[in-house]
Amino acid sequence: MSRTLLAGLAGIAILAACSDIVSPVRNARYDWRLIVAYDSAGPRLDTLSFHWPRNSVPVKLWVEDASDLKARAREGIALWKDAFLYGEWDARLVDDSTSADVIIRLLQPPPLPAGAIRMAASVEPCFGATDVDTGATRFEIVLPVRSYVFPSLPNDPGLEDCMRHVTSHEIGHTMGLFQHSPDSLDLMYGVPAVDFLSERDVGTAENAYHFTPDMVPVRP
Amino acid sequence: MRISSCCLLSLALLAPAALPAQVRYSASLGVLGGTPLAHDQLFQEIEVQQDLAPTVTLGVSFPVSKREFLGLEAALGFGGVTTVEPGYPDVEGPSFTTLSLTGSVDGPVIGPLRYRVGAGLLKYLPEEAGIFAEGGPLLLVLTAGTDVRLVTRGSFTLMARIRYDYQRFTTDQLQFSGFSRTQDVHRLGFGLGVDYSRP
Ligand SMILES: [Zn+2]
Repeated sequence: MSRTLLAGLAGIAILAACSDIVSPVRNARYDWRLIVAYDSAGPRLDTLSFHWPRNSVPVKLWVEDASDLKARAREGIALWKDAFLYGEWDARLVDDSTSADVIIRLLQPPPLPAGAIRMAASVEPCFGATDVDTGATRFEIVLPVRSYVFPSLPNDPGLEDCMRHVTSHEIGHTMGLFQHSPDSLDLMYGVPAVDFLSERDVGTAENAYHFTPDMVPVRP
Repeated sequence: MRISSCCLLSLALLAPAALPAQVRYSASLGVLGGTPLAHDQLFQEIEVQQDLAPTVTLGVSFPVSKREFLGLEAALGFGGVTTVEPGYPDVEGPSFTTLSLTGSVDGPVIGPLRYRVGAGLLKYLPEEAGIFAEGGPLLLVLTAGTDVRLVTRGSFTLMARIRYDYQRFTTDQLQFSGFSRTQDVHRLGFGLGVDYSRP
């Protein structure tokens, strides 16, 4: 008995030489933070970070049931969910818009409400926009966050692809990616033309969700 | 199940014909817990801890000497992870399923106590998203443990099992995301099982 047992334990001890996994450096990223103008003894700019708190995940999305927008939103959720290793962000579609964290409508963006900041992506044959209201103080995100996706050329053969890019792009904004990438190969480029996440998109999302947020979601 | 059929056949061939052909079958249910699966660094340290994983194990063993048995165990484990990160509440992360196949030798220690040492292969199966999204490579797993005979009724014996195992953890998604090397993972488990001996 003892010889077999000792040989087995010795084998384990030899093979169990210490080894730790080494994490990558995620420096492939662009700035995602919201630049907010405020007045404190003169006009100033503040750069603020936001991500959904862990207890708000999965984020509740209400999506207008028109022109396959729900299908596009599901694709966008799946795309962004795959960017995360530990389930930091996820979203689900809800039926009741009253309790939604994010509302996505198939609608031409209305005039910008006072105090809100708009991120707009203009591509033919469709375009999109996401409005963020930073509330009474600039450290809040007033819920729901509102996104708009609109087909500007309804009969264009490239419309479905465009709706796919733009819906996923707007979902990226609703996650807290409040700036556009300067690189045209990124989904978060100002004129999105891809329907996949680049290494920079993934790196930016990961960074955003582990960077201490300055803003908290509030429901009026 | 081609692998398990092949291994069972090999074990059957290895069992010396002169010994009484007392085949032992076992089934057990237990839980396994262990050291963190991974560490990450994104502004602050992130530790990926594993939750207790309920595990179902089925085994078969054959006598190879008067005292020792050679066996094969297949285990299916259902676990999850919790990420621990300073400044954030602990968060339940992705869940995982493991499938392992280990060969082992077991023999008597003293009284109702038996030792068991072995080695095998373990695989993290693909999940929907997260670090287990693409599953994992086949990992070598080394095991050691003890079985304690609690009650015997005819051909059936109720056993308590304590198991330790060691693996070098990684997943395909972690490697794809740029993680290098592997993480030493030590697990310890406890379970209850039934052995059936067929003379
Ligand atoms: Zn945009």
